[in-house]
Amino acid sequence: MLFAGVDLGSTTAKVVIMEKDVLASILGPTGAEHRRTANKVMTEALDQVGAAIDDIEYVVATGYGRINVPFADKQITEISCHARGVHWSFPSATAVIDIGGQDSKGMRLNKGKVADFVMNDKCAAGTGRFLEVISEALGLKVEDIGPISLKSQNIIKISNVCTVFAEQEVVAKLAEGAKLEDILAGLHDAIASRINAMFSRLKMQGDIVVTGGGALNTGLLKALEEKFAQPVFTPSSPQFAGAIGAALLASDLTGQAAAKGKTLKKGHRRLEEVTFFT
Amino acid sequence: MVTSENTKMNGLERAKQLSKNRGLRAKELRSQGRKIIGYLCSYAPLEFFTALDLVPHRIMGSVGEPIIKADAYLEPIACPFVRSCLDKALKDDYDFLDGVVFPHSCDNVQHLSSIWNYYLKPELYYFLNVPHMTEPSSFEFFKSELTAFKKYLEDFAGKELTDQALLEAIKLHNKNRALLRELNALRKQDTPLISGAELLQTMVATMVLPADEETGLIESVIEEVKNRPPKDSDEDRPRIMIYGCEIDSPEFMQMVEDSGASVVMDDLCTGTRGYWEGVDETGDPVEAIANRYLDKLRCPRTYRVSPGTHEADIANRFEYLKEYAEEFDVNGAILYIIRYCDTQEFDAPDVRDYLQSIGLPVLHIEDDYTLAGIEGLRTRVQAFVEMIV
Amino acid sequence: MAEQQKTKTTATKSTKTAGKVRPIVKKMYLRAQEAAAEGRPIAYGMVASQYEEILRAMDITPIWTENYAALTAAKQVAEPYITKAEAEGFSNVLCKYAMVGIGFDAIRAETGKIPEGAPDGGMAQPTMLLGSSAVCDPRFKWYQTLGRYMDTPIHCIDVVYPNSNHFTLEMRDYYVKYQTEQFKELVNFLEKTTGTKMDWERLDHIMDIADETIQVWWDAYQLRKATPCPMPSQDHFSCMVPAYYLLGEQEALDFYRELHDELKERVDNKVGAVENEKYRLLWGGGLPPWHTLSIFNYFESLGAVFTIETSYHPPEPLEPMGKDVHPLKRLSSRVVDRAMKAQARAKEGCGDSRVQQILDLLKEYNNVGMMMHQARSCRAMSLGQIHFKNMVQEHIKVPTMFMESDIVDVRDYSEAQTKMQVDAFVDAVESYAQSLN
Repeated sequence: MLFAGVDLGSTTAKVVIMEKDVLASILGPTGAEHRRTANKVMTEALDQVGAAIDDIEYVVATGYGRINVPFADKQITEISCHARGVHWSFPSATAVIDIGGQDSKGMRLNKGKVADFVMNDKCAAGTGRFLEVISEALGLKVEDIGPISLKSQNIIKISNVCTVFAEQEVVAKLAEGAKLEDILAGLHDAIASRINAMFSRLKMQGDIVVTGGGALNTGLLKALEEKFAQPVFTPSSPQFAGAIGAALLASDLTGQAAAKGKTLKKGHRRLEEVTFFT
Repeated sequence: MVTSENTKMNGLERAKQLSKNRGLRAKELRSQGRKIIGYLCSYAPLEFFTALDLVPHRIMGSVGEPIIKADAYLEPIACPFVRSCLDKALKDDYDFLDGVVFPHSCDNVQHLSSIWNYYLKPELYYFLNVPHMTEPSSFEFFKSELTAFKKYLEDFAGKELTDQALLEAIKLHNKNRALLRELNALRKQDTPLISGAELLQTMVATMVLPADEETGLIESVIEEVKNRPPKDSDEDRPRIMIYGCEIDSPEFMQMVEDSGASVVMDDLCTGTRGYWEGVDETGDPVEAIANRYLDKLRCPRTYRVSPGTHEADIANRFEYLKEYAEEFDVNGAILYIIRYCDTQEFDAPDVRDYLQSIGLPVLHIEDDYTLAGIEGLRTRVQAFVEMIV
Repeated sequence: MAEQQKTKTTATKSTKTAGKVRPIVKKMYLRAQEAAAEGRPIAYGMVASQYEEILRAMDITPIWTENYAALTAAKQVAEPYITKAEAEGFSNVLCKYAMVGIGFDAIRAETGKIPEGAPDGGMAQPTMLLGSSAVCDPRFKWYQTLGRYMDTPIHCIDVVYPNSNHFTLEMRDYYVKYQTEQFKELVNFLEKTTGTKMDWERLDHIMDIADETIQVWWDAYQLRKATPCPMPSQDHFSCMVPAYYLLGEQEALDFYRELHDELKERVDNKVGAVENEKYRLLWGGGLPPWHTLSIFNYFESLGAVFTIETSYHPPEPLEPMGKDVHPLKRLSSRVVDRAMKAQARAKEGCGDSRVQQILDLLKEYNNVGMMMHQARSCRAMSLGQIHFKNMVQEHIKVPTMFMESDIVDVRDYSEAQTKMQVDAFVDAVESYAQSLN
């Protein structure tokens, strides 16, 4: 049986199709038209597997745009999906930090289930957005700032976490002649502090797994390890943790229903309709 | 004269109408010569107004409406609910009020009061000092303060407020409180007979009606929901208690219920805090009113003398929440804290820890009252529901 | 932060007396540490709760926790405490004095010792917590929540101000009565907790010293009306320390006598706080940005001096009461009568005592500009500033600047932005001053 998970995030859209393992995984920019994006990534994933939408037993949508996935059978929050996805690749993990484009979340897990969570979507600090804005101000690509910051020998403390103020502060430090790598290390340190402060409310213990786009930033991971005073782990493709979790939950729900002798109600699966009209 | 009162509309439909158009009835009554007195927060002694034939009207904000005019008068770090109230007043939404009474419930309300008075120039304006402490001397002081206020109101209304009239008003308000408790109890069933959103609308409606009309409205809502056709069992829906201060619009409750939960109990200023406890009908009525508002009203702005240890202090302050949870078979609690509500913000970690210690999962939300970020809240609430089912 | 921003808390021409405050502060924390070592009673207290003299009379060593938070801000070490309080679940928008205090005690509870690197050796473990409702709500909520970290006896008092617009002379009696009862309850609590009896004569004597201290302080500040102004606001934010934290002690009285003499000498010799004084400004509201008092130096570099301030302003001395009055009644009358006096003056003028104070200080100190500090985490002292400014403008069109930052949290502050704002403000002051000539 095939299951699909669709994670429509604020910045990127992810789809995976799974049987026992991941058969296809597609990532693309979310853009402004959520429904169109969802259909596009799903179509690509189906092509990769060589299946039609009706061949998928159950589809779970997650992420900030989960409500705009016309072919999904059920919507589940990214909080539950990331937890499920992480539990699959790291069964020992008891804590998840998901650093997304516009928000960040922390989950404490108990036997793979969410026991408590926190979420920040009010303030850009502690999210991918903060790093994007600063990279732009410095004329750098966001994927480059992590490696550059690792060269720092003398971290420069950035006191502002408000994105606008931090941008000003960074520019001022550069003008004072500070080294780029030291400033970047300071920025990563500031975000990691923010994340640490927020997530220490969860009293997380044990192995921490970092997911989401933020997990691709080596500088940030290093700063997080320092703040949490323990190593942090990342899945091989951290951006797919939510979509994988969604597909796994699709499979779980199907199994649970079957055990009760029931079948799940499916959605309208309007994949082609929408692509046709748009 | 055709008024909204003698139209056929009744029960939940009437509650919905009044909760959306809160000045509707007040304006009608005013055109008939009644005086409408606006008040903020839960500490205004409603019985005084009713006994003097003044119509109490709770000042509320407007969820979802951007704050425009208040910016020129009140800082953005003020409680957003208070800012919303001021904004509405500056947009003339409260032009039907003959007077306003601000009890000193917290710093935010205190600041609002002088600003309101200065720019809106109501005919009657009164700032009522409410002690923060609960020692015997505090009750005595509050009684003196209430007595001074009573005298002021008598002058305004042009008549004497007799103990007899006050006692009758106390009885009427107590009756309404009892009816609201009866209505609230209809949420105890496996499938609650009234949703959290509907109950909130009813509450809001009761706060913009004179006490005698309140009675009829609550009775008609009870009648209506008791006769509803039986619904399917809601056994999969977690039963949620909402803790917070001012939620005066049903959107938040609606969102929680749309997320697959049932709101079955609350500890809110616009909920149980208004009706859980009444005024003692024996003895000196002003003293009884002082006791009810200062002691029985559960707001973190009032300091409770610690019995000794932290554990005893927490039990003393929050054990009623455990009683609520048990009585209403609650599966989880959502703390909806309005940002900049200092006293509530200080209590929140203790409330969270206490509820968790009695085995209740807790979702702690800090929001800016306007629900501008409701999608983010929805994700939290849905995840919370997914977590506890 | 610490390594980049140098905090210059002294002005270019700061008074010598102000320089004596830092050692006094150090001694304050040292005294509490000594009391702890010797097992003497120590109370966490809230400044201006009007119980200072009571503590003094009962040999209870106070720790003024708000001052400690300000100290961590000035030393640029507040952040770890704030972060800890956030981790405990306290909102980032709460009073940052409280956040620092909560964080400090949370860390102490967790580690069993004073947090590493705590300035001035840290706050000793208190044996009692004395909250109050004077000024703002966080001042009793903060200590209430400290139960999380210590099972320490706690007592909070009401301090009621007659701030109703309908306040009448008849009401004075029950205000004074309630205030007296509140102090009496406090004394009962202190006697029970410490096992010692209050010596009423001693309290009376301490209050005499306090009254005299306030009088000398008040007189000294009248000297700041001179041109050039002999003492700037940044000195004030140090010099208010003895009056608020050591009230009733001979040391405080001596301090203000010395300050008075120094200011007198400066005035006689026309020594100003800034060279070539160009603009006289009023600090018109809000607690200071303890993390960046150096902003005053920037004003000075533009020839501007803050001559006087509404925050921590010395209370106007009252007529002494008869000798037969019970000291607690004396204390409570002081609370009520000060407020009534201010209100009486406002009644003759603009109607609002807080705005009247601003108008009076603008005039008496010959100021041509006003700055107010919108401290993000301090609602009590920041709310109402827009309204006060509006009201002031109805009487006098003085240029006004709102500085936005915080009392403690440097994360809410942008130096670049503030300096730009100051430049524009000083330009406005310049053209306003010219228009007056």
